[in-house]
Amino acid sequence: MRNKTRLSDILLNGFVYLATSLSVLALGLIFFYVFTEGKDLLSLDLIRGNYHSRNYVATLPQSSNDSFNLQPTEQTFAIERFGLILEQSENLAGDSVIRVVYVAEDSPFSQLVLQETGNEVVSLKEGMIMMRIAYENHPTSLTSRGAAAMAADLNDPDRVVREVMFAQVGGGIRGSIITTVYLIGLTLMMALPLGVLSAIFFNEFAPRNMITKTMRTFTETLTGVPSIIFGLLGITVFVPLTIRITPASGSNLIAGAMTLAVILLPTIIRTTEEALKVVPADHRFASLALGANKTQTVFKVVLPQAIPGILTATFLGIGRIIGESAALIFVLGAAIKDSVNIYQPSTSLAVHIWAMMTDEPANVALSSTIAIIILMIVLVMNLSIKGVVSLMIKKGRA
Amino acid sequence: MEPIIKVENLDLYYDKFQALKKISLEIPQNKVTALIGPSGCGKSTFLRCLNRMNDLIEGMRMDGTILFHGEHSESSAYDVIGLRKKVGMVFQRPNPFPMSIFDNVAFGPRQQGEKNKQVLKEIMEKSLKQAALWDEVSDRLSESATKLSGGQQQRLCIARAIAMEPEVILMDEPTSALDPLATQRIEDLIEELKKNYTIIIVTHSMQQAARISDKTAFFLMGEVIEYGNTADIFANPNDKRTEDYITGRFG
Repeated sequence: MRNKTRLSDILLNGFVYLATSLSVLALGLIFFYVFTEGKDLLSLDLIRGNYHSRNYVATLPQSSNDSFNLQPTEQTFAIERFGLILEQSENLAGDSVIRVVYVAEDSPFSQLVLQETGNEVVSLKEGMIMMRIAYENHPTSLTSRGAAAMAADLNDPDRVVREVMFAQVGGGIRGSIITTVYLIGLTLMMALPLGVLSAIFFNEFAPRNMITKTMRTFTETLTGVPSIIFGLLGITVFVPLTIRITPASGSNLIAGAMTLAVILLPTIIRTTEEALKVVPADHRFASLALGANKTQTVFKVVLPQAIPGILTATFLGIGRIIGESAALIFVLGAAIKDSVNIYQPSTSLAVHIWAMMTDEPANVALSSTIAIIILMIVLVMNLSIKGVVSLMIKKGRA
Repeated sequence: MEPIIKVENLDLYYDKFQALKKISLEIPQNKVTALIGPSGCGKSTFLRCLNRMNDLIEGMRMDGTILFHGEHSESSAYDVIGLRKKVGMVFQRPNPFPMSIFDNVAFGPRQQGEKNKQVLKEIMEKSLKQAALWDEVSDRLSESATKLSGGQQQRLCIARAIAMEPEVILMDEPTSALDPLATQRIEDLIEELKKNYTIIIVTHSMQQAARISDKTAFFLMGEVIEYGNTADIFANPNDKRTEDYITGRFG
């Protein structure tokens, strides 16, 4: 009998350890995968950069047959004829491109004429992408043939350059970061006051009857509803509403924030309610016994003590906002924008990932990089909220 | 002298359970009245009738009269908030708000609309001095009240009640969560406070009732078995049950 008990104990303990290792392993692997896939693309340029590249089509007014004295490295290709150095590279999104490494000061390429206007002078700059060079009577040099071939073509003295197409680098995610920040701000501005006040109603004011019980159950059920259903609500209610009362004309950021606010409400109400519940009843009694009325008691004694819980609700909320994609594809759109306007469609980081992964071919590296950025934002939020809460507790204010 | 509180034929029910049966008591002014009795005998319930804190309990129903200065304080028309300003309360466990010491004492007056910092400061200093806490905390008024010891917290709660300038202070086993030294200090304080306030104290300790009170009421099963001068009740109780209880035969 005794041996049997021991064996089952060992088994149970074994399951505990096994389950824990599996969970930690699974979570660790996600981090590991995302970091190994995404770390190479992580750069300030990616965070600051525009997504859309700007293309220039220009002509070369003066041909030159000077020979520039250039020092290319092993991976770069010099064009002595024009004073340029090119390299095979990748843009911020990880696509293969030909990048300009060096442009000599008196290179003809720093005095190009924009074809569109015919008189505007543009210059090719270091860091820009060479897309296509067309010649008189010779086949065009294309990105797909690589930097080496393009350099060789340009160095050929027989070729006369007819047209140059080059671009400012794109693929940056600045617009999506700004959209995400707007979404967080606008959503919390709507959801926090509504949610906290509703929680106060449910926990402090509501009479315990069937109506409030039903309302509470309904609210709790909403926590488990898939967000795409809220997306439907957004597209049928909030988008038309914003079109009517704002300058918006279609999917837009405000409607997105409204939809997210509705998604967050159940969580904020529940978390705040939990925080209100743990405020000792003694404090309410003490306040009432001092002649304070109910409203004063709730707002001066109970609510301040619930602030750590409300901050936790805020943190959970920010997590949902950053992570939401399905509902936003409807309501906010999936158009990646560089200049964000709250009355227009744009893309949050999570939808940006969705857009990258539905691209053909899927861009796993950039998606992973965005995932790293999201993870970092969530981590910083979590740590700062924990810091504030522990500071409040240390000061004895909660 | 006219009693400050006069209770007549008070019945109290929690749903169907009758917690108080035909209670009639007169509480004298500027005296300490102790309510003793075994757990569940209704003494705390009775105490909470005096500042209408039982109103917060669902299913509570009350019959009879409670006259405060001759006015029907039990009637629904009576100003409950006004009553609670005049009848302060100190609870079993010290329950300072998680705010600074200053804010705790200033809480009551602030909720009444007092905003003048100087006035609040004077009230705070006077209350803390009366609660015999001033010397210990005067140099850290902005610190959180939760950092004080249990005994200090309870005296702070007394100061917080005093800040409202009440006439009556109800104390619901105020020393049951405190060590003997802190209890001693609170008892000394009660002795001091009865010069200015009428004190009604629920206690489980016979010795405490005997030490500090002028009048004692013995509660049993929702009834007042005996009420009179403390000295008489402890020296020669009229009722057998009172005698059994105070000699420690049950309870």
